Amino acid sequence: MNRSLTQRWPIALAMLAALLLGMSGCAGGSARPTSWTGLTVVGERLYVADLEQARVLNSADADPLWAFPKDPKEDKRGVFYAAPAVGEGYVIVTSQVPASGFLSQSKNIIWALDRDAGSLLWHFDGAAGQYVEGGALSDDIFVIGNSDGNVYALNVENSALRWTFETEHHVWAMPLIVSDTVYIGSMDRHLYALNLSDGKVRWDFHAEGAFAGTPALRDDTLYIGAFDDRLYAIDAHTGTERWHFAGENWFWGSPVVYNDTIYAADVNGNVYAVDAETGVQIWHQSLDAPVRAGPALTEDGSQLFVGSENGTLYTLDTADGFVMWSRESKGQVLSTPVVSGSVLYELLISEPHRIRALHIDNGREIWAYPYTVEE
Amino acid sequence: MFDFIAYPMANLILLLYTFLGHSTVAAIAALTLLINLLVLPLTLSQQRSARKMQGFQPQLEKLQKKYAKDKERLAQEQMKLYKEAGINPMGGCLPLLIQMPIWFGLIGAIRYCIPSTPLDLFGFSHHIYKWLPGIVGLVPLHSEFLEMDLGQPPNPAQWWSYSLPVLVFVTSWLQQKLMAPPTTSDDKSQAAMMSQQMQIMMPLMMMFFTLQYSIGLSIYFVISSLIRIAQYYLVQGDRSGEKISSKWQVWLKQRKQ
Repeated sequence: MNRSLTQRWPIALAMLAALLLGMSGCAGGSARPTSWTGLTVVGERLYVADLEQARVLNSADADPLWAFPKDPKEDKRGVFYAAPAVGEGYVIVTSQVPASGFLSQSKNIIWALDRDAGSLLWHFDGAAGQYVEGGALSDDIFVIGNSDGNVYALNVENSALRWTFETEHHVWAMPLIVSDTVYIGSMDRHLYALNLSDGKVRWDFHAEGAFAGTPALRDDTLYIGAFDDRLYAIDAHTGTERWHFAGENWFWGSPVVYNDTIYAADVNGNVYAVDAETGVQIWHQSLDAPVRAGPALTEDGSQLFVGSENGTLYTLDTADGFVMWSRESKGQVLSTPVVSGSVLYELLISEPHRIRALHIDNGREIWAYPYTVEE
Repeated sequence: MFDFIAYPMANLILLLYTFLGHSTVAAIAALTLLINLLVLPLTLSQQRSARKMQGFQPQLEKLQKKYAKDKERLAQEQMKLYKEAGINPMGGCLPLLIQMPIWFGLIGAIRYCIPSTPLDLFGFSHHIYKWLPGIVGLVPLHSEFLEMDLGQPPNPAQWWSYSLPVLVFVTSWLQQKLMAPPTTSDDKSQAAMMSQQMQIMMPLMMMFFTLQYSIGLSIYFVISSLIRIAQYYLVQGDRSGEKISSKWQVWLKQRKQ
């Protein structure tokens, strides 16, 4: 007995190490293709980036119109996430193709697809990192940030690289393009205003925390939250701070603006209504649930929708922050719900149904996608 | 699974980062030093045990010769000898076993401080000790070191990033070589062969891990092995001096001849 113990402990130890490593489930630095569904609604169509496909669904019944790739088991194009950018005649999505071998590297690809048929127009694989959020379109330029720290501007006609702009950390935020200016936040704690034509810096605003959300614009002021627990109001022309509002934790998702009020949620689940001119709090509602994404507003600005990590979708009255109704699900709601007319699209992860269409008045389910769930 | 270790470690990295000139590598190095200081009593006991075993080398060799044809009896006699001398031959396992949760905690801590996915970062956002000075707004830490991303595994686009797993192998092999339980020169027993195999297997396994995990973890392993090697020589003290001196004398004799 003693003999076997003394002789075999090295093997047992090695096996234990391997077992623990497996149990830890810690994929360390390996980029894991796990993320939330990306959704863009244009007219009667839903453009969806989800798992192994980019799809277009009919908004009325989630009937699929096309998918890219058609058969992901045979034609592997990676894992799609981030909201698709939809332009005249094309849809631009991103995917990550996981590393296939021991010493291989994952690929991060931008795909331009025909808007009506879903056929491939071009692809771009020049970035080294993951695309976390989607890009923004303006006429013939597509701008997107990447985890390799660069902002890429591509010609939408042929994928030609127009310019790149290097920041000092990951760029996980979706840019905002207004006229000839690109506003984009970086994890390097800067919000940059870049020339759309050549990527040159017009101004940059330095905060004490990273920027991972997209700014909201009202008149000539940008509103954006940062990881220093602050919501900033910044002059869109000069990049100077007008005011800041202190939350309880990080502001990750993008704020929304309606008339003179800014609505934002911090990751602790505190939802704030703040005066756009002064930065003074109007009301505050604590949801007691982790919230990553920013809120969404109804078109008339009367209701505010906030998704949470515990799977509950909250609907708040914008007048006072009162929770009008909430709807629970088994998954997590980590991306901003999308509102189109009287329908709210809730995006779920860790749940068999990935998209759920709800009526904005009472949360009644209209449909859930996919209809049938593979076990 | 190891988040109960990973979160405090991640916060410790943040704190060290604020005090060490906002250098992520320096923060990881300082954390390595702290962890090694924490497990110092265990490693010292392991090294003293190894030294004690080396002192019983002649007796072990005698037993080896005496029971060359009876392996079962040999093992029994060896165990008896260890028991009488108060040596635990498995004592070397304990520091390694204790270190494993620390490794996994560290893998998680690096993943949280230098996240490669939004989900990792979001998970950590609720576990930052904001009462620590200078912590607010630090995450994600600056992850670039020699143009490599400390939060990512080595990749072919940066060939030099593979030098770190190689360094992990070399330093770990040296450490294993120094601290392996002694085997007699003509010891062909299964235990001796396994011990020799482990001197290669463990460093290989660690290199394999570091090829898949973040570069920050490689830095921890390299510094940790170097600290252990330094510790070994400090514990050995005059004994290693004797060894070097005797080797020097042998070399001088050979030169004269």
